Amino acid sequence: MIWRFGLFDSTFEPLLPTHWALLVALGLPLLLGMLAALFPPKRAWPVVLASVPVLASGLMLLSAYDQAGLLRWHWDIAGVQLSLRLNGLSVLLLLMTQVIGGAAALYTPGYLRLSETGPLARWLWPLMGVVLSALSLIWLATDLLTLYAGLELMGLAAVGMLMLSGKVAALVAGMRYLLLALMGSLTYLLGVALILGHWGRLDLQGLAEVVEPGPVAWFAAALIGAGLALKAALFPLHAWLTPVHENAWTPVSALHAALVIKASLFILLQLWSILLPDAFYAPRVIAWLGLLAIVWGGLLAWRTDSLKTLVASSTVGQLGYLMVAFPLLLGPDIAPLPRALAWEGFWLQLMGHAFAKAAMFMAAGNLILATGESTLKGLAGTSRRLPLSLLVFGIASITLMGLPPSSGFTAKWLLLQAMVISQQWWAVAALLIGTLLTAAYIFRLFRYCFDETAPRHRYQPLAPGMDLIALTLALIAFALGLLAHFPLELMHGGSP
Amino acid sequence: MTASFDAIHSLDAIEVLLALCLTASALVCLFDRHLVRACYFFVAFAAAMTAAWLQLGAPWLAAVELVLGVGLTGPCFFYALGHVLPGASSPLERDKFSEPWSRVAMRMVLALAWVVMVGAAIRYVVADMAYAPSEHPLLVAGVVIAATALGAFALHRHLLRRLLAFNLLGSAVFMLLAGVAGTSANAQALISVGLLVAWLGSMLGALLIRQLLHLEGVEALGRDGKPGEGAT
Repeated sequence: MIWRFGLFDSTFEPLLPTHWALLVALGLPLLLGMLAALFPPKRAWPVVLASVPVLASGLMLLSAYDQAGLLRWHWDIAGVQLSLRLNGLSVLLLLMTQVIGGAAALYTPGYLRLSETGPLARWLWPLMGVVLSALSLIWLATDLLTLYAGLELMGLAAVGMLMLSGKVAALVAGMRYLLLALMGSLTYLLGVALILGHWGRLDLQGLAEVVEPGPVAWFAAALIGAGLALKAALFPLHAWLTPVHENAWTPVSALHAALVIKASLFILLQLWSILLPDAFYAPRVIAWLGLLAIVWGGLLAWRTDSLKTLVASSTVGQLGYLMVAFPLLLGPDIAPLPRALAWEGFWLQLMGHAFAKAAMFMAAGNLILATGESTLKGLAGTSRRLPLSLLVFGIASITLMGLPPSSGFTAKWLLLQAMVISQQWWAVAALLIGTLLTAAYIFRLFRYCFDETAPRHRYQPLAPGMDLIALTLALIAFALGLLAHFPLELMHGGSP
Repeated sequence: MTASFDAIHSLDAIEVLLALCLTASALVCLFDRHLVRACYFFVAFAAAMTAAWLQLGAPWLAAVELVLGVGLTGPCFFYALGHVLPGASSPLERDKFSEPWSRVAMRMVLALAWVVMVGAAIRYVVADMAYAPSEHPLLVAGVVIAATALGAFALHRHLLRRLLAFNLLGSAVFMLLAGVAGTSANAQALISVGLLVAWLGSMLGALLIRQLLHLEGVEALGRDGKPGEGAT
């Protein structure tokens, strides 16, 4: 498991252009965000210009990885060791972050112009920049201190973004999220304290060599797991998620559901693969909770009357698929083939969900903005007037339901194969139940939209491109299934 | 020989005194119904933490605590209360507490379970503490403050109270960190980042509380979302 995260020595040193690409990838989103706070962009084209160098840095890192394999950076600042690594998985997640972040930023000017957002709107830009920079740092960091700093920066900026709308409900939900996120980080820090006290080091590669199973590893894993599960909204610690999304601005919800909660899950899996290699019970507990999450999230989304609650509850259920794969990734006695399949399926599902959920939040935001209604009943008759928004919603749902040939299908196929080989039948059942429930709540929404008897309302026209951005994200989620060999190859590259 | 024993003894006396100061100010800060006074005791607690870092031989950390804890985080709470100038009256003098006893008891049990777990973990890491807890007064104070702060966080609904409880829990966790890991460069860096996060979080929380007060009045702070969510 550990080599898959790239925690081994690299063969080559990074070249000078690669250093610059790293600097741009980590720092430029932050700088551009601050610049945008001073001069808020009113149109989409400055955002396009700004996202070109960021994406170029990601592609440069990709080509550097293609040529040299795993790359590592080390710094020693006053006795504190900081280290970064670039392997196939982190390049992939970095590119995902840059594409979704760029799409959310492109969507923002139109959204801010059309909805009454108040005087706080310009602060969205720097916060978005902080979130993107911190996310990029999290995908690359390999010591517990950098991970902690990145996690906290991201969490605080995310809280700030989510309550910018300034409504009372948003403030109450945001305050609750802030307190719980801070609590989660303290729990994480306590786990790190145990690790530092017992093994005396914070770098993951060194820890992977010295950690031996025992009470300290278990306590540390439990504390870190609880803190990160709270931040990742893993069932049953998901209650803060829906109210927060209910009141947030659309691009913020898209970024948060697609990327922010995934970062905590990434750290959780990475640390547990070091602290709990071949543990029997802990991954099983997560998997059982995942089964409950699939059912509970699906039921919540099925019964709700609000469009945003539907999309947010579906996140809870979709995270369940990832939780169900934990025993295959961490458990003992798993043969190499199912473990490799589960590894591929896990990350493909995570990426497919990120793109699809961002697209879905944007489509939902477009529908709400155009109709002025946020309930499912208010969407009656939209099939005639807003076909493009509904199409985006449909394509994104194909990925979430896991119909072929989307990335959701490929990911579930890989996971199913791994589960069948290792004979985890209850996990197969969980996947099937999840698909049925997802279909149930998606088709319930479409039944309202295709109600032809509804009276005609006046719809607010959308800014040009708002639907196209969402469509692009939904199509990427779709195409990741057809072109899955490219990401899968990257995920496996760099084996020693 | 006797002189060095005396020196150790006197050091211990200072540590015990500091631990008592920390625990007492934390308890007042967590459970005093008078909010402004609770905030003053938070500042006193942060000052005692500064002294504790000096005592543990981490002057840089003491400086960070002085700037971030006393200088920046403390004023956040007074700003949240609207108590910026001394002598100004605040709409938020006291908070009310009306929880059914069954819930209070349940949360206490949860906090107790948590402290047992943390205590057990620390016992494994610092093996000699199990035999002589009195030799680590600051560590014991850390465990006690962490437990009570977590209990208070679970118990209180008032947003400012929960923010205070989070800050105290944070300080206790830093103390535990220094207790189990010493004051190595890594530990100091972790604690400094943690203090920065606590300040930023408190500032964000204070801004939010002001905005809520402005929009909804004092009542909005007492109810935290829905009444029936889990404790931690």
